[in-house]
Amino acid sequence: MVTEDEIAHVSKLMKIDVDDHTEYVDKVQSMINYFDILDSAGVESEEISMQEISISNLRKDEYIPFDGKLIEKLNNYHGTYVRAPKMS
Amino acid sequence: MNLKISALEYVQEVQNGNISAEDFVSKTLDQIQAVDDKLHAFLSVNEKAIEQAKIIDKKIKSGDKVGACFGMPISIKDNMCIKDNITTCASKMLEHFVAPYDATVITKLKQQDAVFIGKANLDEFAMGLSTEFSAFGPSKNPWNTEYVPGGSSGGSAVSVSAFECVASLGSDTGGSVRNPASFCSVVGYKPTYGLISRYGLISYANSIEQIGPLTRTVKDSAFMLNLISGLDPNDNTTIDNKNENYLSDIDSGIEGKKIGIITEMIGDGIDPSVLSATKDAISKLESLGAICEEISIDMIKYSVAAYYTITATEAGSNLARYDNLRYGYEFPVEGYEFNSYISKARQKFGPEVTRRMIIGGFVPSAGHAGKYFLKAMKVKSKLTKEINEAFKKFDLLIAPTVPILPFKIGEKINDPVSLFLVDINTVTANLTGKPAISIPYAISNGLPIGIQLFADSNQDKLLLQAAYALEQTVKLPEVPI
Repeated sequence: MVTEDEIAHVSKLMKIDVDDHTEYVDKVQSMINYFDILDSAGVESEEISMQEISISNLRKDEYIPFDGKLIEKLNNYHGTYVRAPKMS
Repeated sequence: MNLKISALEYVQEVQNGNISAEDFVSKTLDQIQAVDDKLHAFLSVNEKAIEQAKIIDKKIKSGDKVGACFGMPISIKDNMCIKDNITTCASKMLEHFVAPYDATVITKLKQQDAVFIGKANLDEFAMGLSTEFSAFGPSKNPWNTEYVPGGSSGGSAVSVSAFECVASLGSDTGGSVRNPASFCSVVGYKPTYGLISRYGLISYANSIEQIGPLTRTVKDSAFMLNLISGLDPNDNTTIDNKNENYLSDIDSGIEGKKIGIITEMIGDGIDPSVLSATKDAISKLESLGAICEEISIDMIKYSVAAYYTITATEAGSNLARYDNLRYGYEFPVEGYEFNSYISKARQKFGPEVTRRMIIGGFVPSAGHAGKYFLKAMKVKSKLTKEINEAFKKFDLLIAPTVPILPFKIGEKINDPVSLFLVDINTVTANLTGKPAISIPYAISNGLPIGIQLFADSNQDKLLLQAAYALEQTVKLPEVPI
């Protein structure tokens, strides 16, 4: 059973301010409770298969010039610097 | 002018000089003006569309080389980047985000002289299956506006169904092309994983999502696939399809093909009218020479739980980039500490995205990963094995696209688990990387039913041939708009 405290903790880790945790508790709880069905899948001994891409098939790591000025699109760009919140 | 033509008919008409791209695009914009207040398929409309169509007409008149789309108006789900266009993902977080580059599918369609008529509505960040989770309001089903159009590519499906474009591109993470295609009575195609580049598609769950076309006919989907598939150096998961022509031999038929009927997808909870339509489709396929037999795929029971566990985890990671510092909405940084600013700014995410991010933080976390995420990955592996085994015996698999009829707007929005279960027939194709298609098949109480066919990886051509054969047996009423 997921508790309100756990949701508050995970929200903090995920950097989401949730004003009212109780608003999310019931729904998140019901969703996670549904996932308990995985316990009866009997897959404990199953190997996890992953898609593999060999290094030789990756594109070359090369510089491709970009014609736009991405920095100017930033929200807090001030001509010579980008304003960010203070670090504690 | 007839806006109800297919993509291939449009190309033919323009090539023959019977219509101009400008006239068609102009009439399409009129149609959007006439119906979209009610349907809300679009989040934005391209104001330069007529101008762009005129340029293509000029090229045609002067005998210049013209791309295969001949100015065809296409809608694009608003989670794909079009350079210098707003791309919102139906989220307040990206309300004013202007994409600095084109997605590969957009580059390819621009080369083929398509006109992007507008950006289509979706569930926020493609998380949903009814388009009710769009931050800008839901799209409505043109067959009955009290009902959802499906999702998350709901705007795309509505725009094709209501003649607001000729074709559309959506993205399919757990059925997001096929589900709205089924609910709106259009064709929806989810290709083999890797067949279409995801470069420029705003990521939700990279390991399983694919871009796919929504069209009026199966041939149109094959046509679109010809234009947008293939290797892309910007997406290392793309596969080389050797420039396969999906349109050629599409009328080959399905004589002698073996089709497996997935029993888990026609079991408990299926609407009787959907079951009846499925049985009817099976008997039609048999009459065309296919051999149909039931097959049980045990892991399907766990597929929805595995799907939501994996996608929430990937979403939690993908959405971490939205800190509102690089892109986002106007929210001054003054007076905030770094982490508290980001947490505060991210309150703009809607409730469904927030829920999935919380789950995405919970299920892979220390102490819970073994119970949820790792098990989900194991279910995915075992499901893939079972499906691969099925394709040793069968050429194709069949099931209804969605086991229920479209539901009323608001009916399921407060019950996430009941919404989950709507995905039961579609997530398998995503978890296993297999191609699948939804074909409009029947109408029950004025609401559409789609039939889904699956094929093995890289058997997209065979899948389209079978879908075309089934489509030829169907005659449906026109959408009542």
